[in-house]
Amino acid sequence: MRAYIIRRLIYAAIIAWGVVTATFILLQLSPNSPADRYLASMSARGSDPAQVIAAIESRYGVNRPILVQYGEYMTNLVRGDWGWSLSTSMPVMELIKKHWIYSFQLILLSSIFAAILGIAIGVYSAIRQYSKIDYIATFFSFIGVSLPNFWLGIMLILVFSVQLGWFKTYYDTSLPIFSLANLKALVLPVITLGTGMMAGYTRYVRSSVLDNLRKDFVRTARAKGLPERRVIGKHVLRNAMLPIFTILMFDLGSIVFGGAYLTEVIFGIPGLGRISFNAVFANDYPVVITITLIGALVVLITNLVTDIAYTWLDPRVRYE
Amino acid sequence: MKRLEKTAHRVGGLRNLAFFTTLAVLGVLGLLDLYVVDSLIPPSSYVYIFLIATGICYGVYPLWSARRLTTYYWRRTSKHRLALAGLVFIGLLVLIAIIGPFFTQDPTRVDFKEKNLPPVGFTVQQSIFDMSTGKFTTREIPGTLSHPLGTDDKGRDMLAMLVSGARVSLQVGFLATLVAVLIGAVLGVSSAYAGGWIDNVLMRFTDIMMTFPFFLLLVFIVFLFGPSLSFIILAIGLTGWTGVARLVRSEALSLRTRDFIVAAKGLGASSTRIIFRHLIPNVMSPIIVIATLSIPGVILAEAALSFIGLGDPSSTSWGIILNAGQSSLDTAWWIAVEPGVILFLTVLAFNFLGDGLRDAFDPRSQL
Repeated sequence: MRAYIIRRLIYAAIIAWGVVTATFILLQLSPNSPADRYLASMSARGSDPAQVIAAIESRYGVNRPILVQYGEYMTNLVRGDWGWSLSTSMPVMELIKKHWIYSFQLILLSSIFAAILGIAIGVYSAIRQYSKIDYIATFFSFIGVSLPNFWLGIMLILVFSVQLGWFKTYYDTSLPIFSLANLKALVLPVITLGTGMMAGYTRYVRSSVLDNLRKDFVRTARAKGLPERRVIGKHVLRNAMLPIFTILMFDLGSIVFGGAYLTEVIFGIPGLGRISFNAVFANDYPVVITITLIGALVVLITNLVTDIAYTWLDPRVRYE
Repeated sequence: MKRLEKTAHRVGGLRNLAFFTTLAVLGVLGLLDLYVVDSLIPPSSYVYIFLIATGICYGVYPLWSARRLTTYYWRRTSKHRLALAGLVFIGLLVLIAIIGPFFTQDPTRVDFKEKNLPPVGFTVQQSIFDMSTGKFTTREIPGTLSHPLGTDDKGRDMLAMLVSGARVSLQVGFLATLVAVLIGAVLGVSSAYAGGWIDNVLMRFTDIMMTFPFFLLLVFIVFLFGPSLSFIILAIGLTGWTGVARLVRSEALSLRTRDFIVAAKGLGASSTRIIFRHLIPNVMSPIIVIATLSIPGVILAEAALSFIGLGDPSSTSWGIILNAGQSSLDTAWWIAVEPGVILFLTVLAFNFLGDGLRDAFDPRSQL
């Protein structure tokens, strides 16, 4: 067990190295190098090109051999020197520190919304399989999975903000985070991001619960005369939740980040997605790299946590 | 005739011969194109000829030569009403994307006199500046039959734009998925077949690729390399293969120890023959299912990229129309509604079809 965790940590370190190296290779392959972008961005600000070139050469050492640059890139990242954001005139680290909370609250609230509703609907429609409600739930979860979430966001704005006027069309950044007024401002974004997730969870939960309902231990529990509530709550759900837990964590990387990015862009929420979006159009490449790396890092850590949590969540899984 | 059969047998059947001949012809054409004459055929036709050849040799021909199996699977798939509906919708969309642009107006023609016209059956109020009186007058403007789905804020015909957007979306959907499936299948099969350290390296590489959030990686790559349509297709294909690789690897691993593979090995079949003759055909059905189910994700990714402004600016993509629609929500709602509805229906159709195919290919499922 201990050995497993240690091995898992080493493995995570290898993946982290691979991720950083992959971004470095992509940067090297890019037809317009970071230095070009830097130059374009600085000259657009009216600085003297000669000065800028000198500054770039000292900062990035573009004339040095590629391995030295690679070493520099790595050490800077590890030391927490993530570069200087030109478009906002502050270190990238500061920028991230200022804005991550907006993404965090959006993703947190959407996950809670999606998980509660998704699990409730999924369990219900599995218990009452082939009932009318099951059919409706299955159909709507299909629709929810297929709805492009950025379009859903626009439609919500069209109906509830433009036509009905219940919400503002834009996120008000002056509101304090985790306040009631802020919660109201986040209603539409949370529905936008949460609907697809919820539909996905409904489907996973339904099939997972159905799977477990057919198992022998359920028949035993029923034969013992346990009330149905206890059979479902204690025997089925506990076992059904394991794969769902994995999928919840896995979705974070593949679906939630992309969705949060678009949701932030549509509603103007100043989270990491919006920052990256602005940076892309301002040619502010350190910010774009850093946010890509942060996304990968979060996925890496959640995968690690999931795997380690599994060792005590599911005693049947053996590691050697 | 005898000789032809002999040659065909050597490369593994007539269809392989036909396929490789097409490839050779394409190669010669390409070389001619490069060194002798300029643009014999447009560069994109190479891709399409390749695709059509692949489709006929490895899609239509096997379906025809195994008619009994085809009818069996067709019966199973067509029991799934929604899958059938999805197939019909996709067929229509492909047809519209191919021949539609010849019938619609020019999707790039700008006409400010006809801007923000509503679809047929709707009317909107518009304030128009009257030159003679110098005042704004409000007028009721009905939709006209010449623009059945209305016009956008520059007076371009919505129907024409949507039809040309269908072309973009389907191109991206099919081509990028093809790239992803090819990479994933080759990596997955070779990883499972080779085993040992090759398997280890390939799977760690897959893990590294999977650690990047898909959309963030896509934005990063398009940011670095610039947004042209062919590059976006390539980028989606090059980042989206991980799921396929894992699935194919696990399927191939379970096949590797089966008797027929062991027997083939015992009879002295080469690795290439085992991979192409035995492994790949037997992992085909999960590949088809995962390919069908990943097309909607690919289409959505392209739409999302062009929605945030990282799409090919020279193409009329649904995402680009949606982006324009968001800024004129209060004056012209249909610009944002129409491309979204089509996008949604397309994604839904592929999801239904993929689900139906999965059930049809699964011998355990009762239909």
